[in-house]
Amino acid sequence: MTNTSREARDAILQSIQANLAASEGIVHTDHTIVPYRGELLRAGASLSRTEKFRERLESVGGYCYIVKSEDEAARALSAIIGELQSKDAAKRIALSDAPLVSSLARGIAAEEIDVCPLPADLFNYDVGMTMAQAAIAETGTLVLAAERERHRLVSLLPPVHIAIVYSRDIVDTIGDALTQLRGDATGMSRAITFITGPSRTADIELTLTVGVHGPKELHVIVIEAASEAS
Amino acid sequence: MDHLTSETFDANARAALNDAQLRGALKNATSLFGKRRLAAAHSVSNWEDLRSEARRIKDETLLHLDKYLEQFTVNAEEAGAQIHWARDAAEANAIVKEIAQHKQARLVVKSKSMTTEEIHLNSALEAVGVEALETDLGEYIIQLAGETPSHIIAPAIHKTRFQIADLFVEKLGIEPTDDVVMLTATARRVLRQKFAAADIGISGVNFGVAEAGTILILENEGNIRLTTSLPKVHIAVMGIEKVIPRFADLEVFLKLLPRSGTGQHLTSYQSLITGTKRAADGEGPDELHIILLDNGRSKMLAHPTTRQSLACIRCGACLNACPVYQQIGGHAYGSVYPGPIGAVITPQLIGLKKASQLPYASSLCGACREVCPVKIDIPELLLHLRAEITEGSEVRDERSEPVKRKTGERLAFKMWAAVMTRPRLYEFSARVGHLLQGFIKRGNRIGKVGGLIGRLAPPLAAWTGTRDLRPIEAKSFRQQWRSAERS
Repeated sequence: MTNTSREARDAILQSIQANLAASEGIVHTDHTIVPYRGELLRAGASLSRTEKFRERLESVGGYCYIVKSEDEAARALSAIIGELQSKDAAKRIALSDAPLVSSLARGIAAEEIDVCPLPADLFNYDVGMTMAQAAIAETGTLVLAAERERHRLVSLLPPVHIAIVYSRDIVDTIGDALTQLRGDATGMSRAITFITGPSRTADIELTLTVGVHGPKELHVIVIEAASEAS
Repeated sequence: MDHLTSETFDANARAALNDAQLRGALKNATSLFGKRRLAAAHSVSNWEDLRSEARRIKDETLLHLDKYLEQFTVNAEEAGAQIHWARDAAEANAIVKEIAQHKQARLVVKSKSMTTEEIHLNSALEAVGVEALETDLGEYIIQLAGETPSHIIAPAIHKTRFQIADLFVEKLGIEPTDDVVMLTATARRVLRQKFAAADIGISGVNFGVAEAGTILILENEGNIRLTTSLPKVHIAVMGIEKVIPRFADLEVFLKLLPRSGTGQHLTSYQSLITGTKRAADGEGPDELHIILLDNGRSKMLAHPTTRQSLACIRCGACLNACPVYQQIGGHAYGSVYPGPIGAVITPQLIGLKKASQLPYASSLCGACREVCPVKIDIPELLLHLRAEITEGSEVRDERSEPVKRKTGERLAFKMWAAVMTRPRLYEFSARVGHLLQGFIKRGNRIGKVGGLIGRLAPPLAAWTGTRDLRPIEAKSFRQQWRSAERS
């Protein structure tokens, strides 16, 4: 911090204290408010977490595939890639450094499949594949914690993002996800991204358009398996 | 292009009222956002509780703002962020310029940030030869056009796709098209080259969490993710009121902000950034600079009424709900912050003298208060500022001189108040008014629109210049009520 900035800090903090002191009608209450969070009102409250997650994700234009095992996940992945290849949209595929992502991608035939290409190259890939460390059922949201996996750019630059998440990592609410992130024993990840559906804009005549800066397609494969491999 | 200023609000508003294209666009935008907001608010069972709770969190923070800012600073620094403090726009811009020059930066990519617009950061950077490029699609469009945002959430809402197409043909050399998907794809292509080449990314901050030193930024497009993860240096400009105490508090705001702004349950992306990466070879910037900006905010703490202004989370719901904004749009306010919240924040930021017309840009209908996710009583604030203007008292702002309202107007408002607080006198006046208005009626058709009074004699002509007046009914509401009860 420079001298000016230090001086500015002292002046701002003093101004805050002086202005608060000048104010009438300040009632100091207990600082530790434990707020009431409440429940989300939604049809289909009886759905399982995974089904809720799927319902919300699809409502924002994402695709969801629920599978029972890693083998099934690999088959679902091949089907997604095959569909993309029929549109000539999956020549170069970028993978995060998660072992499961690489093992699932083994069955794919594409011109090029690379783990964590350099950012400058990544601009020219068609598909990015990553895991998600958690997901939120009430909003259909993926939670990507950057220190657990190198997926910050692979999930962002290519026009198609395919993510794998285990159903046991799906939590009910945003609050549950925040509590879990904060409570991470190894320290909270320095960069966390919440992803809900594809990149979107309505800046031109309020017309919804996907894929403006981030991916225009988001595919999520949910593995409902007892297996601990990840 | 010369940008409008708050000082000439009345004239700006009159010009906007004659812009049929603008008014059509505003009607579409504000009614669509309004409907979506309502539907989204109904998607949770406890909307009112959420609003109250958000306000409690903000109030609690503001009463201990110094403590929470210091806590935020300690935790962010511990995670590797560099914290800078700026008393005003000039100091904030100087800090950014210094970082840019130190890094020998040529190109800065920016994601949408009202705070950086408040301090006019782009022109400050351009003055030292650094290109500052807006990357939010709407912001990019208006930057290309040399204009300013007209809506907090949809900055280019005043432009048609045909105008945007012409702009892209002229500035980017594309083939003519009016296809929105093609136009969007063009912006993506052009801006990706810029993201790849940028030396610094500059963003705003929606929430700064004191207990964790985390900043949270919300968006839909992905340009914030690009801005905060590709360049080697990330600078976040944060108003001091953006701090909240606890990580868990984010839940309330994440439920309220997207629903109030665009009617989404959650925007496409949230970036939660805590300092810099732990591993040197990890992804993301090497440096994170957070600039804490006062620029007139701490003064708002001095009164319970003005203090509310600092609870604002910049959702834009009050713009969409406001009958004045719906007609004139954002440019007329001549400020980065338009609409009801702009009408109360702008005079406090730039001084009452420069924005003396803004607190009057409201009918005090209270729609803004109804939709505000943090329950800011904007009508109360407007009245507070009007009182300061009329009384000529300038307790908090020594930069500007008091603006006196005319004696005739004061007298008129005194008479108005006398009539309005005495029911019998009110009823009598209404009867007299009903008889007298016969003189200005022309047959059965009165006014610009049938059934309305279109023109009054001076000095009341000032009122009907831009408005039609509903004539006084033959029977008052109370009379109608009484006869309805009898039948």
